[in-house]
Amino acid sequence: MRARPVLRAAAGGVSRRRVQTVVIFTVLLVSTAAATLGLGLLAAAAGPFQQAFAAQHGAHVTMAFDTGRATRAQLIATGRARGVIQSAGPFPMADAGLTGAATGSLGSLALVGRTSSGGPLDDLTLQSGRWVRRPGEVVLSSGVAWDALLGSTFTASTAPGAPKLTVVGIAASATDSADGWVVPAEVHALRAAGAPATAQMMYRFASAGSDAQIRADVAAITAALPAGAVAGSASWLAAQQLAQGTGAIIAPFVVAFGIMGLAVSVLVVINVVSGAVAASYRRIGVLKSIGFSPGQVIAAYVARVGVPAAAGCALGVGLGNGLAVPVLRRSAEAFSGASRSVPVWVDVVTPLAMLAMAGLAALLPALRAGRLPAVAAIATGQAPRPGRGQAAHRVLSGLRLPRPVTIGLAAPFARPARTTVTLTAVALGAAAVIFAAGLETSVARVTTDRSHVNPGEVSLWLANGGNLRPDGAQARKAVAAIRSQPGTLHYVAESTLSITASGLPGQVNAHLFGGDTGWVGMDMISGRWYRAADEVDVNSAFLSRAGLALGDHVTLVSGGRQFTARIAGEVFDPAGGQPVLFAGSQALGGSGLPIFQYDVGLRPGTDPGTYATALNQALGSQFSAGTNEAGGKFQQIITALIGLLTLMMAVAAGLGVLNTVLLGTRERVHDLGVFKALGMTPRQTITMVVNWVTGPAAAGALLAVPLGIVLHWAIIRAMGRAADTGVPADVAHVYTPAELALFALSALVIAAAGALGPANWAARSRSAAALRTE
Amino acid sequence: MNALIELSDVRKCYDDDDGRAALNGVSLEVGTGEAVAIMGPSGSGKSTLLNMIAALDRPTSGTVIVAGRRVDNLSETAAARYRRQRVGMIFQFFNLLDDMTVLDNVLLPAQLTGMPKAVAFARARDLLGELGIYDRRQAYPARLSGGERQRVAFARALINEPELLLADEPTGALDSAAGQEIGELLMNLNRAGHTMVLVTHSPELASRYASRTIRIVDGQLTGADRPIASTGAWR
Ligand SMILES: Nc1ncnc2c1ncn2[C@@H]1O[C@H](COP(=O)(O)OP(=O)(O)OP(=O)(O)O)[C@@H](O)[C@H]1O
Ligand SMILES: [Mg+2]
Repeated sequence: MRARPVLRAAAGGVSRRRVQTVVIFTVLLVSTAAATLGLGLLAAAAGPFQQAFAAQHGAHVTMAFDTGRATRAQLIATGRARGVIQSAGPFPMADAGLTGAATGSLGSLALVGRTSSGGPLDDLTLQSGRWVRRPGEVVLSSGVAWDALLGSTFTASTAPGAPKLTVVGIAASATDSADGWVVPAEVHALRAAGAPATAQMMYRFASAGSDAQIRADVAAITAALPAGAVAGSASWLAAQQLAQGTGAIIAPFVVAFGIMGLAVSVLVVINVVSGAVAASYRRIGVLKSIGFSPGQVIAAYVARVGVPAAAGCALGVGLGNGLAVPVLRRSAEAFSGASRSVPVWVDVVTPLAMLAMAGLAALLPALRAGRLPAVAAIATGQAPRPGRGQAAHRVLSGLRLPRPVTIGLAAPFARPARTTVTLTAVALGAAAVIFAAGLETSVARVTTDRSHVNPGEVSLWLANGGNLRPDGAQARKAVAAIRSQPGTLHYVAESTLSITASGLPGQVNAHLFGGDTGWVGMDMISGRWYRAADEVDVNSAFLSRAGLALGDHVTLVSGGRQFTARIAGEVFDPAGGQPVLFAGSQALGGSGLPIFQYDVGLRPGTDPGTYATALNQALGSQFSAGTNEAGGKFQQIITALIGLLTLMMAVAAGLGVLNTVLLGTRERVHDLGVFKALGMTPRQTITMVVNWVTGPAAAGALLAVPLGIVLHWAIIRAMGRAADTGVPADVAHVYTPAELALFALSALVIAAAGALGPANWAARSRSAAALRTE
Repeated sequence: MNALIELSDVRKCYDDDDGRAALNGVSLEVGTGEAVAIMGPSGSGKSTLLNMIAALDRPTSGTVIVAGRRVDNLSETAAARYRRQRVGMIFQFFNLLDDMTVLDNVLLPAQLTGMPKAVAFARARDLLGELGIYDRRQAYPARLSGGERQRVAFARALINEPELLLADEPTGALDSAAGQEIGELLMNLNRAGHTMVLVTHSPELASRYASRTIRIVDGQLTGADRPIASTGAWR
């Protein structure tokens, strides 16, 4: 029963401050949604890999060794190298090109000889079929095979005598330790003539949480062996990055938005409650004088926030889940087994945490109300303590500005805490907008940047997806058709091969161009596009996985032949994840390579769609020409997500400003009455009230510029890391001074617009009523 | 005598007062230069009447004419202009702005009209000097005595040289000595030509300083109890 007066006192407060109630609700809705989205994406993305890694007792590092340079005993001895806590192997390895009669080529696969799927490390999950028992059998990795392949037979075309292999099982390795497994005795027969003998070892280390630790671990192994024995290494961190895919790329900026949303909502809640407390000192005094205990007063003011905050948090969870669905569905497509919904614990923990934050934020000012002695509360009334704003008034009244402006500008100094809130809300809101606009530009540039996905504007390929013989009739026909199109500016033949590269387990996609590619102008992160026949360009994933740098030499194996090339540049590869290599076709043995497609650059003003249609008509049904349109589904999702989160942030910040001004007008209603009785016109009143916020808003907007830039810089890099790619300069640096000035200015304008509502109210309200409010 | 203020049949009902009128058919004339005291029990409508004259609020019906112009239907902007040009308001609780100095409080109405700075300063200096608080010009209201605060309110009301002074219980918050001083001040101002409407609970103040007293009960005038036959102004 004792709760009833408390509730009534609280309810009275809420219903009388409808706008503030809406503000609290909306701000918590927005920030809870952002936090749910962020955490949900992180959790859903991180979950499956970590589970699989733990269950399989995954290896921190998987390494390949040249067994011509290190003995079996030496390899086993590396299990006692510094930092190693567990090891497995050596297992013999071979690279073999597998071709099926019905299925076509699977490309060059890294095959490992293992007697069992289990083991102390990399305890494989057999998804279907059984493990290999005798030569002629192969278990393929789920990364390269699909269930229908079970039972089919492939020819190891690169091996002498072209032995046959039947698929008896499909297995998954969390760290993708191999493309397939055979019995150890067969490995030797699968090696191409002249290829070095290699073996695989797997390790777990005492510390392997970061790339730096992994590098040190690998160095310890390398040091324990003769020079040149290490042929490559792969880190579990890279596998994790790959597995986490889309969610991981989006996570950095979603988390950034979530944190900013949290900050704004805490500010707004503190603001609303302390405002309510300050505005109702007299009410508190009265409540106490009629017998409310301090605890009940505190409860009354916390409850004022509790109801709208709880509603906001509850609906925010729903909104966050709704927003997460399309993103999660996309990442589930990319990584089988990834969750398609936000984990339940996120749905429970997020709103509770947000609500707790709100309650805590409300508690601080409410405690002040609880401690306030009744008499003092009644006497203090609602005016801000005089004295604080006096110096500011004195300075500002000396300025040659209209009086309503200087009075307005001085007002924030009387309430430093509330002014800080306005300033911070504007700074965070504007920083979010600046950051988001930059992110949009970066994402747009990523999409339009030339990459291996779309080196030209139009591509032409065989309709059946096969390869063209470079000197064949079909190739001549295609080239003639391209040349006869008036829109053609450049074209180049592109071959796509799977090769192996020293230092990298598994296969690498190589894009080889037969002709001048100067016009392709792919975006470089560092270095330059290849010029000489023995130069190649690679993406960031290639460099980081192989542990190579620009200028290093790399050995490439294709069709059983070895080539050595120098790495001339790091190419920006927004798709990231997998190592990719670009070179002229001479780098892999000349111009005889089968052509996968032609890439065409168009004359300015040529419409790619029309051009592709014309080419299709000229060539008939054997060929297929298509445009390389900018922006995939992923970009659309990111763009929509950025827009949405920015809007939410701007709304939250705008509401923060509106709320501050509202508190100000309510609190100064009496002063406003005096001003009007002295002849202040509505326009002058509006000018004055709007100027309450222009000072802090201008400071906030100025602060937002560096904040937004730094945020963009950090998040773009984090996203790049998640996508396993560096970031080229044009993606990292997107702001012009004029744009930044415009953003800062518009933040000011929006803050002023947020103040206009309460200002209008102040200007319209009759002063007679205001003066009665003593 | 030409009337500066003319109220005819003014009614004022507040929305939340279920039909009861705060002013119920008030008709009243105040001549230029007159000093009128308004008396009546609490809640009788005295402040409401002053608000009508100052165009701080609109009557429900009836007209208010000041200096030949209707002020009962002015827009908020026009009302503000009217107030700062013609009306000086003085309140029971001074209503000074706490975060401004004495000088800034006094200058404010002049600044709102856009009076040249030098002119406004000269007038403020003269007024503060006349009222004996020039040396307190940089002080803040919280540091002043009640009498001093009310003088500041007077200076502020007078800075734009309004022809009409409206005072709502100007001595209500003061002790009798300070109230006396304020009464003298009012009389001097009236002598200097300001028309004055003074709401007071003090019969002594009314009889000593006003030329006429109007009684109001339940929103209705009950007739002047001490009508002055002459023009009513001391000169
Ligand atoms: N803004 C308002 N809203 C509602 N009712 C009001 C308002 N202002 C005055 N009233 C009512 O109108 C009536 C007259 O009020 P008014 O303030 O004019 O009285 P008063 O004669 O000045 O009283 P006092 O001597 O106590 O100051 C009262 O009943 C009061 O409750
Ligand atoms: Mg009154």
